[in-house]
Amino acid sequence: MIQILSGIQNTTAALAAEQTRLDVISENIANANTSRGVDGKPYQRQTVLFEAALQQAMNPDGSISTPTLQARIEKDSRPPVQIYDPGNPGADAKGMVSMPDINIHEEMADLISASRTFEANLAVVKNSRAMALQTLAIGKH
Amino acid sequence: MPGVMPGADMMTPKVAPMPAPSELLKPQEIAPGQPVGGDSFATMLGHMVSDINSQQNFATQSVNALQSGQKVPLHQAVIAMEEANVSFQLMVEVRNRLLEGYQQIMQMQI
Repeated sequence: MIQILSGIQNTTAALAAEQTRLDVISENIANANTSRGVDGKPYQRQTVLFEAALQQAMNPDGSISTPTLQARIEKDSRPPVQIYDPGNPGADAKGMVSMPDINIHEEMADLISASRTFEANLAVVKNSRAMALQTLAIGKH
Repeated sequence: MPGVMPGADMMTPKVAPMPAPSELLKPQEIAPGQPVGGDSFATMLGHMVSDINSQQNFATQSVNALQSGQKVPLHQAVIAMEEANVSFQLMVEVRNRLLEGYQQIMQMQI
């Protein structure tokens, strides 16, 4: 297969990873006040781990592909916070409700970072395309 | 070394020297009248066209999958389209050069 846009596989993997990060952030923000999840416990914040993974498939010529970026979703370990809210149906005997320890400001900062990294990878695609087109224009008058 | 700024060799980027193009692609020595070994240009061109066709098909499949609600990332479909587009332009460029050469030969004064 012709590889016409150089380095595009790494960039595609990075874009997919950033997309995953964006999804996780959206889930965190949406569930910032979820005191009772599907398992009955408060929502547990999720984080994304980026790791390089070797593609399982070997290339036809026998060489192994370069590692590509992959995003793995992990639970954050921070415990839920206790908030005094005796009127809440989920409150315990002391009137305390367990809420997820999610800081909206932290999530927004992560969101900006994910968005900017996505943008940077798109700029790589754009430049790679421009380079290919400029190369094709060699010798044109 | 006199006249060289201290630390100048630290500033020079450590890039492996490019091999000369002649080392990358050595033209075969072909005696006149001998048939050329390996694939002919037509076969090569045919491979290229079918490669580009499959790229176009992949782009179409990606867009179809995206529009029918399957879990295809948007960027993958767009990048597939862009790759198909650029390789199509490469094919058109090869065809243009080929025709140009042919016409120059046909217009030769004998």
